[in-house]
Amino acid sequence: MSIEFFLDGKAVKAEAGQTIMDAARDNGIVIPGLCGDPRISKTTSCFVCVVKDKKTGKFLPSCSARPAPGQEIEVTTPEVLDMRRTALELLLSEHNGDCEAPCTIACPAHAQVEEYVRAIANGEFEKGLAIIKERIPMPMSVGRVCPRFCEKQCRRNIDGKPVAINEFKRLAADKCFDSYMETLPELCGKQVAVIGGGPAGLSAAYYLRLQGFAVAVYDAEEKFGGMTRYGIPEYRLPKAILDREVAHFAKMGITFVPGKKLGADIALDELQKEFDAVVIAIGCWKASGLRCEGEELATPGIGFLHNIAVNGNVAPNPGRTLVIGGGNTAMDCVRSSVRLGSADVTCIYRRTEAEMPAEKIEIAEAGEEGVKFQFLTAPVKLEKRGDKLVLTCLKMELGEPDASGRRKPVAVPGSEFEIEADTVIGAIGQNTDAPAGLPVDRYGNLDVKAGSTRIEGKLYAAGDCAYGAATVVEAIASGRLAAMEIAEDLLNIPMPHENSVFISRGTWQEMSREDVVVLRDDLSDAARVELKFIPIEERRTTFNEVCATATAEELAAEGKRCIECSCSDKSDCKLRKFSDEAGCRPNAYPGARQVASYDVRHPEIIQDRGKCIKCTVCVKVCKEVVNQTLLSLQKRGFQSMIGTAFNSGLPLSCKDCGKCIESCPTGALDWRKKR
Amino acid sequence: MISAEIKQIKIGLVSCGIAAGGEAVYKELTAAAGDIPVVKVGCLGHCYAEPLVEAVLKDGSSIFYNNVPGTSEAVANILALGEQGRFTIPAKRKAKELVKVLSMAGKIDPVNFDDYVSFGGYEGLKKALTMPPEAVVEEIKLSGLRGRGGGGFSTGMKWSFLAAKDSDEKIIVCNADEGDPGAFMDRSLMESVPHQVLEGMLIAAHATGGTKIIIYCRAEYPMAIDNLNIAISQIKANGLNIINGREIDIYIKEGAGAFVCGEETALIASLEGQRGMPRFRPPFPTDSGYQGKPTMINNVETFGNVPLILREGGAEFAKVGTAGGRGTKIFALAGDLEYPGLVEVPMGTTISEIVFDIGGADPEKVKAVQTGGPSGGCIPKDMFDTPVDYDSLRSLGAIMGSGGMIVIGNDRCMVETARYFLDFTHRESCGKCTFCRVGTTRMFEILERIVAGKGCEADLDTLEELGNKIKAGSLCGLGQTAPNPVLATLRYYRDEYLEHVNQKSCRAAQCNALSDIVLDQAKCIKCKLCIRSCPVEAISADFVIDPDKCTRCNSCVDICPKKAIRRMAKGENK
Repeated sequence: MSIEFFLDGKAVKAEAGQTIMDAARDNGIVIPGLCGDPRISKTTSCFVCVVKDKKTGKFLPSCSARPAPGQEIEVTTPEVLDMRRTALELLLSEHNGDCEAPCTIACPAHAQVEEYVRAIANGEFEKGLAIIKERIPMPMSVGRVCPRFCEKQCRRNIDGKPVAINEFKRLAADKCFDSYMETLPELCGKQVAVIGGGPAGLSAAYYLRLQGFAVAVYDAEEKFGGMTRYGIPEYRLPKAILDREVAHFAKMGITFVPGKKLGADIALDELQKEFDAVVIAIGCWKASGLRCEGEELATPGIGFLHNIAVNGNVAPNPGRTLVIGGGNTAMDCVRSSVRLGSADVTCIYRRTEAEMPAEKIEIAEAGEEGVKFQFLTAPVKLEKRGDKLVLTCLKMELGEPDASGRRKPVAVPGSEFEIEADTVIGAIGQNTDAPAGLPVDRYGNLDVKAGSTRIEGKLYAAGDCAYGAATVVEAIASGRLAAMEIAEDLLNIPMPHENSVFISRGTWQEMSREDVVVLRDDLSDAARVELKFIPIEERRTTFNEVCATATAEELAAEGKRCIECSCSDKSDCKLRKFSDEAGCRPNAYPGARQVASYDVRHPEIIQDRGKCIKCTVCVKVCKEVVNQTLLSLQKRGFQSMIGTAFNSGLPLSCKDCGKCIESCPTGALDWRKKR
Repeated sequence: MISAEIKQIKIGLVSCGIAAGGEAVYKELTAAAGDIPVVKVGCLGHCYAEPLVEAVLKDGSSIFYNNVPGTSEAVANILALGEQGRFTIPAKRKAKELVKVLSMAGKIDPVNFDDYVSFGGYEGLKKALTMPPEAVVEEIKLSGLRGRGGGGFSTGMKWSFLAAKDSDEKIIVCNADEGDPGAFMDRSLMESVPHQVLEGMLIAAHATGGTKIIIYCRAEYPMAIDNLNIAISQIKANGLNIINGREIDIYIKEGAGAFVCGEETALIASLEGQRGMPRFRPPFPTDSGYQGKPTMINNVETFGNVPLILREGGAEFAKVGTAGGRGTKIFALAGDLEYPGLVEVPMGTTISEIVFDIGGADPEKVKAVQTGGPSGGCIPKDMFDTPVDYDSLRSLGAIMGSGGMIVIGNDRCMVETARYFLDFTHRESCGKCTFCRVGTTRMFEILERIVAGKGCEADLDTLEELGNKIKAGSLCGLGQTAPNPVLATLRYYRDEYLEHVNQKSCRAAQCNALSDIVLDQAKCIKCKLCIRSCPVEAISADFVIDPDKCTRCNSCVDICPKKAIRRMAKGENK
């Protein structure tokens, strides 16, 4: 006997005994639910499946409620969806796990770090490279120059030894970059122009091609790579590496048009007529002045480096050199000056070493190569006296923190002093040279919509020119985003949800060693792998790459140091999936989370209390399907937890069954070994 | 000198009397009374007067003595029928109360079968057994009796559902898991007149074809369990458990102390030996309950009403009360009032009559009353003329509940009151439903923030939003009512919440973080008691309290002989 009732106003039939959820599914409406399993009696606990009885105004758990004849059930009204979202947000608010590892969250490109580290440590280099290239198409470059956002958030920082993540990227890419070829889709017929062949433009081109677009990349220079080629010196990133990466893009069918400068050789109007979309990725090439009298006498840092690069790493000895600024460009300038033969190179910075924006490793390596540092010093005047330059400086002291959080340097009155030099290089910042007619923000960067690369119409902007001078990996992430947005706009391909990162147990700074969940048995406590540098004399006199790629053996050992922080169930966690689909805000209801204690007494199974949503499906599966009573719901209220009898853990024989693991909607019960 | 007029001495010695020190009085009495029998009886409801002793005179009248100390002098005074310490029921209370269900409480020896029978006990059962079962059900329907546990469902209807079931086994359960803090009506009835509850259940067994009677009583009520067990053995000895030729099994199941087990499906799970958790209804217990058998669950007080209905007839019973509830209701009065205790009044008595006339609360000092315990809501003083029945209270955002009534004085903070109740319910959530388990915890955390002076106005919206969603998205009564204290105080006392979050001030000076303790130098006699009592040395030698050191523990406020130290809302002292 079937009955008729209404789902969102549409008459549907339900078989006798069917629940609203069952009947809805038979009629093509899938209602999400976390606490059901066809093999067991109803748990009716998660309330994610709520629907509303229009007449009574009551919300019903559709997994358990059976429809009455003529009953009008609302399934997808805003009110019902809101109720469902709240149920999920409440579950997220107590959830204590890592939907992604902190390294992946920290990576601007959201590369699946844990996965590629595991593959490469296991010797699966091509698999590792494939994972990396899902997010980072220039792994040889990034593997050399990345400031390693990931490593800064690695939980092994708790013992002061983060995993040397970037070395994995570099090794896998060095080993199989040239032999690896993506599966390329048929061209879709749409064409995109990319202006600027730096990392943002190349990344956009790569992911556009992978979506089926025909891509042409224009660049003002004769060679491609942008700032990676002309801004980063040879000793950090050899040009031959870049050549190999660009060659691969060309092999993928991407067209390269060199020597075309926007505004001079090519015009935006023309490109917009010719192409379906245009990505502007022109970088930040305008050096900031020293903002003092005589600033025109200084050499712009970016110009200094560009000149070395275009001349095949050859340039005149700059003599006694002063480099003003504390960022990575300043470090590139001082270290290049040493290599050009200068015996006296000084970096002048108005704060102290602690506030320098340059990478610590860069500062250290510059020091090793003989660069001197003069901190708490600011230029006030530059003048020419004979064939020398004289820089007048003021002593500074640190005052209150400014908007950047760093302490603001304040001049000490009457502390003027002079320094004589042959070359003065200004490396205090770079700005976007925005093409005329395009809207810019208050920093002079192209005005894109927040969190997007869209400018207007067919125009997109990616990389430094959209947000100011930053890192290669950020440019690559931005280029990829442009490609995804173009695919969404032109091909109606929905934006992938892969960027969504929901829950994290916290940063290592907030955690202690006991808070860290370790699933693997073979976690190594060895020291971090040491990189092999070329001899210091070679570093000071040549532009040869300063350090070598780590070996497969070294990284096999290094890989064992990875805690593997991410959730074992991240790829098929129903809580994450439904929360994603419902557009949940994980911090909608901030408050205490579940105690993060976990149980790994069983050699192959983890019980992770922090991730449990107390649906009790495991309890019922064990009891009603397996005919055992190994699990039970214990305690009350927020402290409720799934436990074992007398807290004695799961028996070894559980590995033969694993039915509770299959039925767990989250990673609260799971196999310990990750694949 | 023992007065010759005395026939018998009665002393209230159930939990309340014992707690007040009645055992010592009883000892003195038995030692001094000679031939005069001293009888332990139940509770008369006057908690404030315990230990309460009744001297029954040979002419049938009685003289009561209140707050009797356990001394030979006090006992001698009673035995001499001295004037000192005589007790009369306050006249206003006498005028308003209507003692029917509790008519034997405090008058009879709870475990004396003959005593119960001599007061008319088991006449209701006797009469019922002369009637066909359907007629008994009709009589209950006619009485208009509604469930006294809080739900207010028609008892006659419930009985008819079970009666209609065709089953070899039908279970009748008495819900004696009285869990609301501040509620003790059921305990008092079971301790004082256990037979009355059992008689009601036996009548139900006859009317519905029940084959088994289970009393689910919380283990925290040991005396109720003892007295019921004695009464059960007396019933068996007298063959009263043979209904229509069939022997009815009667036993007590002791609850393990979970509030949620007062909810009927959780109660059934607990009876079955499982974790006390509710399940989705339908099926309703009358279709499938204890071990899958048709099961009917009524509250203690509901069963307590049944013998009366049979004795006097449903129509007569229904003459008392209003359309929103027939008969009388027992309330447990507590909080800021003069006469805490139990009182039985006709349904439809106004809150003001209960709180002011019976409870003796000072109208100038009362802010509100909380009905229904942690599941109920507050009712502000300007609505006290509301007649109390199931429907009227619900319309005010409160509930009748099982009959707890807590009077809230002006010096209580409503935000703290809401926090207090939610502290209880969020811990007692069984952990099953997401909205209840996590939602109430989030609400509690927000309230903790607000009373700590760390709340913001948006928190109030979140409280309302979550509160309404928790009510709509929970399986059982616990979650469906847990937000009530918060929602009701937000409805009637939003201004207090706003002061907490915006001005960071608590007008009742109850929230520590939002209050200061100040010393009035003009009243101070420099006795230094405050300085000595302060655990953190916050009071200087010249009697100034350092607000940064002070922990607001109230030691100095309590000890000051001149009341020169008091709490003040933060900022008020400027």
